[in-house]
Amino acid sequence: MIPQPFEYLAPKTLEEALRLVERHGDEAKILAGGQSLLPLMKLRLAAPRFIVDIGRLRGMSYIREEGERIVIGALTTHTEIVESELIRARCPLLAETAEAIGDMQVRNRGTLGGSLAHADPAADYPAAILALEAEMVASSSAGTRTISARKFFVDMLTTQLRPGEILSQVRVPVLAPKTGTAYVKLPQPASGFAIVGAAAVVTSGKAGKIESVSIGLTGVGPKAYRADAVEKALRGKQPTPKLLREAAANAAAGVEALSDLHASAEYRRAMAGVLTRRAIERALKRVNGKRA
Amino acid sequence: MKVEGEASLPGTPEQVWALLQDPVRLAKCLPGCERLEPTGPDRYKAEVKFALAAIAGKYAGSLELSEKRPPHSMRLRLEGKGVPGFVKGEGALELTPSRDQTTVRYSGDAHVGGMIAAVGQRMIEAAARRIIQQFFDNSAKELRESKPAD
Repeated sequence: MIPQPFEYLAPKTLEEALRLVERHGDEAKILAGGQSLLPLMKLRLAAPRFIVDIGRLRGMSYIREEGERIVIGALTTHTEIVESELIRARCPLLAETAEAIGDMQVRNRGTLGGSLAHADPAADYPAAILALEAEMVASSSAGTRTISARKFFVDMLTTQLRPGEILSQVRVPVLAPKTGTAYVKLPQPASGFAIVGAAAVVTSGKAGKIESVSIGLTGVGPKAYRADAVEKALRGKQPTPKLLREAAANAAAGVEALSDLHASAEYRRAMAGVLTRRAIERALKRVNGKRA
Repeated sequence: MKVEGEASLPGTPEQVWALLQDPVRLAKCLPGCERLEPTGPDRYKAEVKFALAAIAGKYAGSLELSEKRPPHSMRLRLEGKGVPGFVKGEGALELTPSRDQTTVRYSGDAHVGGMIAAVGQRMIEAAARRIIQQFFDNSAKELRESKPAD
């Protein structure tokens, strides 16, 4: 429970932090809220030589509306997202997802950027980030670049972020009118991690037909993904119970499902279908502003 | 944990076999392998650095080849131990020619224990698949590069 010795670096500005991660390369790890990295270090599964603590940087914890987007600083904690009036009003899916993460201690310390950069295959945010078509802003000494959610998650614990880059901001588009969202999760009872988590964003069109739908899934495979087959089967259609059931059954199509003590690959696939259907149903109920 | 699959490698079974018996070339193909030293006939001592994002660890262990039928099949046994845990595995490799390529079928059983198993359990299988995939990717590259120019 005691980590291997490391050198602790606490930069005061983002520029200084970027210089440090550039200089120390893969010998350095970035520490934000520490809810993923510190347990790994205490168990000695991770033994970085340098810790660059960005948790003290000012000005990276904020939630603002900018035009048609909500922009969120990477160091914003899960609790800040849960409690933000702006997020609850304009992007309730993110608050609902943040509320499902771990326990209160994790939500008070853990950060949006830290969770996304760690890219645990069972983390909750990636499902919502994918369904919302959010964008990640990566900063480096060369400037900033924007990465779409679809491109951001590469593999388990692996993102598009390059060495020397720090995830600095997340941009979430404001929801279209007549849109409902939901995050539904089957948690592993001990860790709270998602065995399967499904996030749905559904916009209703004429005569109750589904105009657009996007679904993000986490926990099923090595990385979170969009359930393209399900979305395609639903777009432009009347959401009858039969159609929802049939479409959602393809939620894990083409995915190399994970398997462990708590859930076999087959079980994860089956639950992906069930939770996807429930997420869509709940999102549909919320289209007209009703809480369900 | 059962590990099973197949991969296609460029070259004849003889060429693939030669690669599998050459510690210098084999070390280049094994992901994270820092040292591979013969300690006897068909026995090697190995040092492997495994890294998956934040999770990284050094493993020291051994590799043993047996029941060799060149260039068709062999069995292998590996053992590794490091700070995060241990790995033990046994399996078989089978080489069959398919046109100008060689199909390598592998099947085995691996046990992972210690901290890495307790904490990383849900990711171990997928991680093992990645490592095997990388090994075959590296081997294919090595085989292509070592081909005499014609």
